[in-house]
Amino acid sequence: MSPRPTGTCEAVQGQIQAYVDGELDAVECAPIEEHCRSCRPCAVLVQGLRQTIDLCRDAGHAPLPEAIRERARHRMRELLDAGRR
Amino acid sequence: MRAQEAAYRVSLLVCGNPDDAEDVMQDALMRTYQHVRQIEAPEAFRTWLYTTVRNACLMKRRRRVGEPARHVSIEQDGGDGHERAGPVEIEDPARAADEQLLNAWLGSRLRAALGELPDTYRAVVVLREIEGLSTKEVAAITRLSEANVKTRLHRARAMLRERLEDL
Repeated sequence: MSPRPTGTCEAVQGQIQAYVDGELDAVECAPIEEHCRSCRPCAVLVQGLRQTIDLCRDAGHAPLPEAIRERARHRMRELLDAGRR
Repeated sequence: MRAQEAAYRVSLLVCGNPDDAEDVMQDALMRTYQHVRQIEAPEAFRTWLYTTVRNACLMKRRRRVGEPARHVSIEQDGGDGHERAGPVEIEDPARAADEQLLNAWLGSRLRAALGELPDTYRAVVVLREIEGLSTKEVAAITRLSEANVKTRLHRARAMLRERLEDL
């Protein structure tokens, strides 16, 4: 049988954004982590948020497709050439 | 050309398609070049650029509101302004190729999930999560309070999570 969760889910969920954004110090993180060790729904919520954030951040690091970049560069060259005329 | 790349990436993510994104990028970069001397602090340039892109996206969207949602062929229209029954989507091969490239780049599920978010939520997620700006910078760009940015980010993350749950 799992141990009884410490703290309430509401209290943890109220701080979950700050927690996943790394805005809390170690003292503030400790009760959240302790709660999540024994509360599966909150642990799943934290994990899910982290995965979503990672997915977005990975997308930010992926270079744009070359064909699309080239078209944008071509359009910019046209624009700059038109400005010089 | 990092400014151009950033402007284009955000335009693409917020507008959703390359045609609109190219117009937005062009508009935003022209405005930025015209006003670049007024930007005193180098760190203000980033906020200026993203703000200009965001405003250009909003303008583009407003102009789009008056346009038809899909293309109608001449045969379908019949010439009297009344569309005939049985709408047929006209496939544009270039656009289909772009769609494939963009889906491969961002992941079709993430791209679709971002597209389903309300405009302001999408802008907040793109600027904060994908572009990696601070809450303060996002607040300045979107003209929202920092508390409001956090609230929208919270809701947007939950919506994305719901749509991407099985990934």
